[in-house]
Amino acid sequence: MNTKVDLQKPLVTLVGPPNSGKTTLFNFLSGKNLKTVNYPGSTVEYSTSSIMEKYNINGDILDSPGIISLQPNSPDEQVSIDSLFDHPHLGSPHLVIATADASQLSRHLLLTKQLINAGFKVILAVTMSDVLLRKDYKINDDLLSEKIGCEVVSVNGRTGEGIDELVDKIKRNLKDIEQNGKPDPKRELIDPDKISLLEIYREIEDVEEEVLEPVFNNNGKLNLKAANRELNIINPELKRGNYRPDEITLKIDRILLHRYWGLISFFLIMAVTFTSIFWIADPFMRLVDELFSTLASYSSDLLGNTWFGSLVSDGIISGTGSVLVFLPQIIILFLILGLLEDTGYLARGAMLIDKPLSKIGLNGRSFVPMLSGFACAIPAMLATRTISNRKERLLTIFIIPLMSCSARLPVYALLIVFLTPGDKPWMGGLILAAIYIFSIVSSLIAAAIVNKFRNRLIREEDTSSFILELPSYKLPKIPIVIRNSIESAKQYIYRAGPIILVLSIVLWFLMYFPNTSPEIDSTGMNDEEISQVEESVRLETSYAADLGKIIQPVMTPIGMDWRIGVSLIASIAAREVFVSSLALIFKVTDTGESIESSLLTAMDNAKNEATGKKLFTTSTIMGLIIFFVFALQCISTLAVSRKETGSWRIPILQLILFTSLAYILTLITVNGMKALGFS
Amino acid sequence: MRTAAELRSGEKGIINDIDESNPSFKRILEVGFTPGQEIELINTSAFNDPMAFSIRGTLIALRKQEAGCIILS
Repeated sequence: MNTKVDLQKPLVTLVGPPNSGKTTLFNFLSGKNLKTVNYPGSTVEYSTSSIMEKYNINGDILDSPGIISLQPNSPDEQVSIDSLFDHPHLGSPHLVIATADASQLSRHLLLTKQLINAGFKVILAVTMSDVLLRKDYKINDDLLSEKIGCEVVSVNGRTGEGIDELVDKIKRNLKDIEQNGKPDPKRELIDPDKISLLEIYREIEDVEEEVLEPVFNNNGKLNLKAANRELNIINPELKRGNYRPDEITLKIDRILLHRYWGLISFFLIMAVTFTSIFWIADPFMRLVDELFSTLASYSSDLLGNTWFGSLVSDGIISGTGSVLVFLPQIIILFLILGLLEDTGYLARGAMLIDKPLSKIGLNGRSFVPMLSGFACAIPAMLATRTISNRKERLLTIFIIPLMSCSARLPVYALLIVFLTPGDKPWMGGLILAAIYIFSIVSSLIAAAIVNKFRNRLIREEDTSSFILELPSYKLPKIPIVIRNSIESAKQYIYRAGPIILVLSIVLWFLMYFPNTSPEIDSTGMNDEEISQVEESVRLETSYAADLGKIIQPVMTPIGMDWRIGVSLIASIAAREVFVSSLALIFKVTDTGESIESSLLTAMDNAKNEATGKKLFTTSTIMGLIIFFVFALQCISTLAVSRKETGSWRIPILQLILFTSLAYILTLITVNGMKALGFS
Repeated sequence: MRTAAELRSGEKGIINDIDESNPSFKRILEVGFTPGQEIELINTSAFNDPMAFSIRGTLIALRKQEAGCIILS
């Protein structure tokens, strides 16, 4: 075993409670080869990299997710702790750097103490001494080191002060490990019962009391606040670690957590978040869209009117475009979420919304995943891992597909045009807002209903809890927020990208074959007209049309025909494909006009092939919108739901329930509106 | 027997014990609510639940039902 260890590059792991300055330290120490690694079979992520070259240490550094103790309380924590003791690829760390916030030492030392007790080789990095200094206190590092039983360094995350000392200590410890062997931590050494937990606390409270030293000002006198505290210490009841949280935070919370203003500001912040997702992202989305249409038409010109040219331009390039067009929204959503989280607001949002959500079987912690669901269900489902209660986690996953994800936006945008009177364009925005509110309300109703029948649907019962630290407000660290947003965007591409691309190609195949070069009477037509007619004949005789005609009986009751049916099938690849396949089917080819406006004309003129009446009327458009609000038409979502819930039961239930609900409600909407006299 | 759930906004109390019959008692201990500590109710949300307590230099939000297992002296 020793030879294996000797060959291995030393691993230094950062471990600490949430909000203890871990990631800041990581940014100081990390160098080349930065990558995020997953614990196999899960989505718990770590950043690793080699230690920055200038420090001249041959080793890797790993930033693990924040944990409160070595006793797991959620699936996320379970994975984090398992991999701390024995990561399947990386093994256990040679050296652990435990982080602790100086201003809440007695809370944060719990984990440090547990790490030492479990047998890890630990260096304690004390962060945020500046916050403590504002309260006129400082920590005696040497004394702390002696009392807690490991080496201690104070580090200033803003200035980098103390990093060099930390690096020296890392070097010395690694050399020591090289000579005397790697530590062999054992989780059995952590005693989980109440008495031993209280014993550790008593121990670290005593340590804290000894190492905290009042700061004297220039006159050699105790500052006023410190003097008051010294007086308090005389009062035995108040002697232990009883400083208040950051005063500025308390002041801000007087508004943001106010009984009424708190809720009002919450809704305002959410409203701003939503509108900016759409407003800021819009120009970027157009850019991506145009880029790929241009690319597609170039390649089509270059490769000519062959099956290969069509595969490249219509299948591959358009397929890639339909994945990437949502990237701006996803990045912006994660940027805003990252900023809200980094300032400390997100935890407060979760607190404010916990009570209403708990009424329908959810949890305040469901709030962030649900919010992410408005960009894309995939990252949203991954984000549910912070919910410790399994029932609440599964219920959150269950309703996430009802959050109106950004893939539905182009569909709504297209359909809304038909409902908006030409002289009142502002109505469009209003209708869109109404759709969003409708989808939020219906997902909450769905959650309540699923919760009612949870014995049959979710089949999990677990004690519900909400215990969440509300960290001090601080200015967000922009570079870290940006880096994390880009990471999340990559995740989206890796997970959703391949499936969407493959399905686009399959769809292309179904629409192109078998009649690849149809024979048409081309007398008196120019080249462009020939290719247009060829394309429509090819489509009408394609496999996709055969498929569409099979589902015609399902489409007739909702006032639609096989062409919409095929587009709905196509939208299983990704909802936004609905728009591009409608465009293909309604015989639109790019004639220089923007693709949407020629599609609109084609749709407006389209007649239902079964009845001969106008196809896109107010009632069928409303019906389609209702269908898209409820239907689960996304294969990637089902795949992630399968992975996150651990079986096919929930994804299959989601697919059947939501899609049949969508069909029934569409049926009611279309026929109800017709009965009421709408066209 | 008074519990943290009965504190009024801005009121302080000293923890006497944590009721082990609450399934979350261990996590409540782990985040810092241990006997002898002083807590203060800082905020409650609009529905009076959850409640945010000041403890060991930070703020922690708990549901009323969880605050109910924190027994004050």
